[in-house]
Amino acid sequence: MKMKFLLAAFLVVSALSLGLMANASSGDKDAAKDSSSSAVSAEQKAQNESMRIEGEKRFRSNCGRCHAAPPKFPPRMMATIVRHMRVRATITDQDMRLILRYMTE
Amino acid sequence: MMCRLIQWPRKVAQAGLLGLFILISLTVHAQDDEFNVDGFKAVPILTGSTAYFTRVTAGQYQDAPTVSPLLLLPMGDKWLVEAKGSYGDTFSKNAQGDYNGTISYGMAYGQIDYIANRYMTFVAGRFTTPFNIYGERLAPNWIRALQPNPLTSPVTSGSGLGGMIRGGFSGTDSLNVTYAAYFSANNTHHLLATDRSTGGRLGFFLPRQRLEVGASFQQVLQADRPHSSGLFMEWQPNRAPLTVRSEYARSSGLKGSAYWIESVYRLSQIPSLRRLELVGRGEQFFAAANISAATVKKLGALGKDTNEGDFGMNYYLRSDVRASASYGRQFVLGRDANLWTVGMTYRFIMPMLPQGGAQ
Repeated sequence: MKMKFLLAAFLVVSALSLGLMANASSGDKDAAKDSSSSAVSAEQKAQNESMRIEGEKRFRSNCGRCHAAPPKFPPRMMATIVRHMRVRATITDQDMRLILRYMTE
Repeated sequence: MMCRLIQWPRKVAQAGLLGLFILISLTVHAQDDEFNVDGFKAVPILTGSTAYFTRVTAGQYQDAPTVSPLLLLPMGDKWLVEAKGSYGDTFSKNAQGDYNGTISYGMAYGQIDYIANRYMTFVAGRFTTPFNIYGERLAPNWIRALQPNPLTSPVTSGSGLGGMIRGGFSGTDSLNVTYAAYFSANNTHHLLATDRSTGGRLGFFLPRQRLEVGASFQQVLQADRPHSSGLFMEWQPNRAPLTVRSEYARSSGLKGSAYWIESVYRLSQIPSLRRLELVGRGEQFFAAANISAATVKKLGALGKDTNEGDFGMNYYLRSDVRASASYGRQFVLGRDANLWTVGMTYRFIMPMLPQGGAQ
């Protein structure tokens, strides 16, 4: 009986959380697009290179822990693969973004 | 004392629920505002692996072709449907010397994932139990370094049917924390059987040292209500192409306890052998104490103490095609055996829409 109550409480809390999260705004989307469309300066190039190196590092430490390095796939396929691996291997959001960037360059 | 033991699983469930409340309230404000990185729209993918292995276990030949397709269906920026099935046919010689085939098939997992924010993903459906790392991450035959299952595998229930919360976050620059907590209902369908259970896993990953350690827990909420606990580690030293992994699992019920330790060395420093990796694994299984002879018979492999050592090699013809061979020696009281395995795996992947790879 108590277990049923706990399960019901869990489901209610989960549903409430999902609703709250679905209604939340996505604030910085426009800012990200603006920055990507701005001219590539030398400083940005250096930043991109450092992100690529960091992405490769995260790729090797996260993906290489379990399996051999796969080839780079087209970007839209990589987006699906990385989303799958984020869930399966509990890769952190920050690592996922760096890995996706590295694998789609 | 007895009363305390009965109350204990309830306390675990209550503590779990409290932890859930805290996690949700902490992360509900941390909305993911730019998940769709660089504007890449995810496409549906069909991936998975095929394998053909010949096994010789204690002189008994078996040929086993298998296919394990995995469908990945992203919906919008935050949803993903994952469905993985398996189909295999095992051919072995009967007493007359003829080959007979036994077909097996099933669904490893069929789940829907909702990426709520940077730190949390909700999972619903049939999923692989988040207990240690082998079942979730290392079990696919194109990934596992040695084809025989480790002795820890039967100690815990492999699948759940219900809901799960999981995710990870960077504690500091040098520490990632990962977690998973689930609840599963009882299901008696012969292909999709699951136990009513709850449990979870907590992991710590040190990216600089490339070291991951963690612990798992599982409480079965039916029949004898046994609980299981486990520990795992994985380490890849920065200076050598070496991977060391280990798992330990212990059940309070009839399933005993076991551990394994495995090392994989890629010969990448020798140009002509850079596609070859060497693997070694040692493991021990300890049967539960004080079980009757009838129970031992019923438990089969789980009824007797077992020691096993395996050695193998994998050669990557391409990144997705691998030839493997291994030899193992199993020491069981009164029934030692040699375990030979040789075969190939192929990991396939294709988009499910025309021009799936185009921007």
